[in-house]
Amino acid sequence: MTALPDPDADLIALLDRVAGRDPKALHNLYQRTAGRFYGLALRIVRKPEWAEDVQQEAYLTIWRSASEYRASLSPPMAWMGLIVRSRALDLLRRHRAAGAGQTQAFEEDAADALPSAEPGPQELADASEQAWLLHQCLQQLAPAQREALSLAYLRELSHTELARQLAQPLGTIKTWIRRGLDKLRVCMERAG
Amino acid sequence: MNIASNPRLLALLSAAYTLGTLGAGARRRFESLAREQAPVRVSALLWRERLASLVELSPAVEPPEAVWLRIRNLVDAELQRERAGARPAPPVPEERWWGSLALWRGVAAAGVVATLLAGVAGTHWWNEARGARPVQYVAILSDAGASPSMLVTFDPRSRQLTLQRVGTYQVAADRSLQLWALPPGRAPQSLGVLDVSARGMRLPADAASLQQAPALAISLEPKGGVPGDRGPTGPVLFSGPLVEKTL
Repeated sequence: MTALPDPDADLIALLDRVAGRDPKALHNLYQRTAGRFYGLALRIVRKPEWAEDVQQEAYLTIWRSASEYRASLSPPMAWMGLIVRSRALDLLRRHRAAGAGQTQAFEEDAADALPSAEPGPQELADASEQAWLLHQCLQQLAPAQREALSLAYLRELSHTELARQLAQPLGTIKTWIRRGLDKLRVCMERAG
Repeated sequence: MNIASNPRLLALLSAAYTLGTLGAGARRRFESLAREQAPVRVSALLWRERLASLVELSPAVEPPEAVWLRIRNLVDAELQRERAGARPAPPVPEERWWGSLALWRGVAAAGVVATLLAGVAGTHWWNEARGARPVQYVAILSDAGASPSMLVTFDPRSRQLTLQRVGTYQVAADRSLQLWALPPGRAPQSLGVLDVSARGMRLPADAASLQQAPALAISLEPKGGVPGDRGPTGPVLFSGPLVEKTL
């Protein structure tokens, strides 16, 4: 068996050093992953200032809890990505609690500034095998279905909230989600 | 209901459960089925893993450089606190600039202001307010000619220091400004390296590190700043007393 270059192995080695309180390893990890996770934070919270705060909180969480990484049995990008998502959702909850009325107007302003939702070759090169498979299966969905599924998960949105954010009738959203999940199921199960 | 015998339905429910799009009733039914039947639980966990990969599929966007600076400052401060906890700080020679009389006179004056405020507000209320509310801090840092150059405020809720320039001081491209807390009788503690390009400079800080410091100072250091546990190496440009503000 030949050893293939494995991006996961590099990232796991960095996480191990971060767990040993090595700030240089954190810097390397940041350089490797910051763009990916800032992109993710921006996709969830949408405002650059908020995404910057999420990024800061997420890397501090990674710094403080890297020693728990191995026990998660997850691919490193997935483990770190879930931390970013959870910090981003915390921030949205805080802002929702602070000023409930302001979010809607902002959503309309921010829609234009959204980065494209599709990962490029660079992102895919670092993605885990599991993410590759998911990406392949998502390609079989219509772009609108793909977007609805992805936003429902990343922003923890209900059907109603999705309908509002994507400016579609509720029935359309429900159909997109149901058909999208069914196609995804067939594809993922065929792949094992 | 035995959904474990209907693989398609089981997969769809598990996926919708993870996605968070099940209605409240369906959600509770699925949860109780998962508690009772291991195959339902397995399917839910499998879909949780599968959909978690969505976090890996966002397009990359480069964050502004200031974000790393903020993270680095926080991590440095944390390591510094750990080291300080592990061994006592070395004694500070008296002739160093942070022992200078003028600075401490400023601190004493700030104490008078705080005392006057306390007198106006009434001691009882004052103490109550101090106990009940997180303490805010304000400092006006001045240059050698005593003209105010930097306003520093601390918001205990966001645990952030905000620095606003008043003067027009320019920093050379190969230099950085570093902010220090000056606890009496101990070496200055770095509060972080300032990113002069950012809109309103922000630095993470905790109330504990400010509580023990009656004054702040800013020094000019090599680009990127110096390690926080050894004190400033460059000239002090601005300094001033730190005032508690509970009113």
